[in-house]
Amino acid sequence: MKTDRELIQEFQTGSDAAFNELVRRYLDLVYRFFQKITPDKMEAEDLAQTVFIKLFKALKKFRFESEFNTYLYRVNVNTANSYFKRNKWRNMLHLDQAPDTGYVETSQEKQWRKEEVWAAVGRLPKKQRLVVMMRISQALPFKDIGNILDMTEGSAKVNYHHGIKRVKLLLGNNK
Amino acid sequence: MNFEAKLQKTFSSTSEMLEPEQFINKLTTARYAQALKRSQAISGYLALIVVLFVGILGYNELDQGAILMDGSYYYSTSIDFDQDEDSEYFDDLALYIMEQEEDIWMAFSFLDELAYDKIVNLMEEES
Repeated sequence: MKTDRELIQEFQTGSDAAFNELVRRYLDLVYRFFQKITPDKMEAEDLAQTVFIKLFKALKKFRFESEFNTYLYRVNVNTANSYFKRNKWRNMLHLDQAPDTGYVETSQEKQWRKEEVWAAVGRLPKKQRLVVMMRISQALPFKDIGNILDMTEGSAKVNYHHGIKRVKLLLGNNK
Repeated sequence: MNFEAKLQKTFSSTSEMLEPEQFINKLTTARYAQALKRSQAISGYLALIVVLFVGILGYNELDQGAILMDGSYYYSTSIDFDQDEDSEYFDDLALYIMEQEEDIWMAFSFLDELAYDKIVNLMEEES
């Protein structure tokens, strides 16, 4: 089995088949990442598609300064961040129009709560938002989060601490 | 259960996976569509630049200063003969016309129409 590096090098010499192999390899990871961010399957698929289109352009100039895995996470996080920005107002509306949880079914309630959480996360400052997003959706260690977001482990912890405090407040105030 | 654990539980649902080949087909279509859109946009901008360039050149070439008269625009056909470098050439040309034209009044009328009165004045002085 070829390594990621070999596949990327083949792609850089013009092999689209090598890129497709990378897509097969990482589709689950990328799609799962966005499924945790949006309850809409179509939207998650669109976001995954956006990530691979970005990769198709960027990998041609990829210089292997970081691991492909880390780079892919960065692309995921940036795409999710753009998604949050785009949906900021919509999310705020969701948060403000939150229905009384007593009136909804358990399965719907769970899905709606997911939106509620992301609406709150979407209102955080950028760094806090990114750290909280990586931590609660991917359950990644702070060291990895720091590595992906290009910050120290300590900085990731501090940003998470402030971010989660604010999320708690936003979700608590909403009830 | 602490707050973080509660949040993580919110995202613990089992997720459906996408069919890779179908996704790759969609991705390829989307890539081509995006590339086509980009090339169309570039062609559009280039065409716009050419049209603007030709338009500006044409406007400068044609615009001799429109004169509004009785609700219609008229364009002056007069030629500026005052420039030194051209005046000698036009003098020679006027003399040539005067010499060659059998009907001298026709030649006067033509020069008058061009607002070239130098030769007329000369003739008047001589007479």
